[in-house]
Amino acid sequence: MLIPHPLLGLRDAEEFVYLGDASLMQRPDPDSPTALTDFCDYVFLRDNPAGVHRELWFHEQGDRSWLVVTRNTLTHEILGAELATDAARPTVTQEPSA
Amino acid sequence: MPDLTPLTALGHDQPQSVTYGNLTMGDCPDLALASLALRRDAPVPLPFGLDLPGPGGYVASAEVAAIWTGPRQWMIEAKAKGCTDFAAQVKAQAPDAIVTEQTDGWAAFDITSPDGAAIGRLLEKLVNIDPGTVSPGTASRTSLHHMNVLLVRPDPCCLRIWVGRSFAGSLWHAVIGAAGRQAA
Repeated sequence: MLIPHPLLGLRDAEEFVYLGDASLMQRPDPDSPTALTDFCDYVFLRDNPAGVHRELWFHEQGDRSWLVVTRNTLTHEILGAELATDAARPTVTQEPSA
Repeated sequence: MPDLTPLTALGHDQPQSVTYGNLTMGDCPDLALASLALRRDAPVPLPFGLDLPGPGGYVASAEVAAIWTGPRQWMIEAKAKGCTDFAAQVKAQAPDAIVTEQTDGWAAFDITSPDGAAIGRLLEKLVNIDPGTVSPGTASRTSLHHMNVLLVRPDPCCLRIWVGRSFAGSLWHAVIGAAGRQAA
């Protein structure tokens, strides 16, 4: 299996370590009133989709970057990969014009 | 002070060299290495006048070279500085960067051949990377026999492999084994 690294091109999946669901990047707010249940879901509950899945891969034997890889769990087809630092960056929302 | 004898990564008092066919392999204990990383939003320095390369790149001057190892981090390599405090010299060139001594943590091996294609054929046996992308002026961090290595291609006739110093014997075994079979 080859992973299309956004900086380095196609790299062998053996160079990577798999962490799991990319939703782990959305850590709940510990100060929220529902923090206890939010963290219970965050730590213990995962979707197990048959199909497209966004997941975290670490390029351990390469440039040590974290990637968000989109993979089809039924076919193992890799649909895309982006740097996790880019994926984690908050999307810029346009201010409503006055 | 006891009179200690410095040993190379392969455990000898002199660098080793082996030739199979048109491939010559040897260790390079006189090379120095230091890592250089930048803090967030810090400007990119020009250590020793080197224009630090982008992803997968290798830039060299006569004495010093820079190897891209990850976003905003590089290894700086220097000839004939293996016995000096090279990290301090890099830090003096880039005072705002994070510089760490790496010379004693890594060992370098040079594989040379007048025929660059022979180096490509050896790479086909050793690493799971397209040998065509290991072209002059590139550096790749990958795994070789499950060891983490830096593959550097200073010129078409030379391939340099940096590996963790404690893996030097295993890397030497892997490389001369593959080269010996290629020459047979």
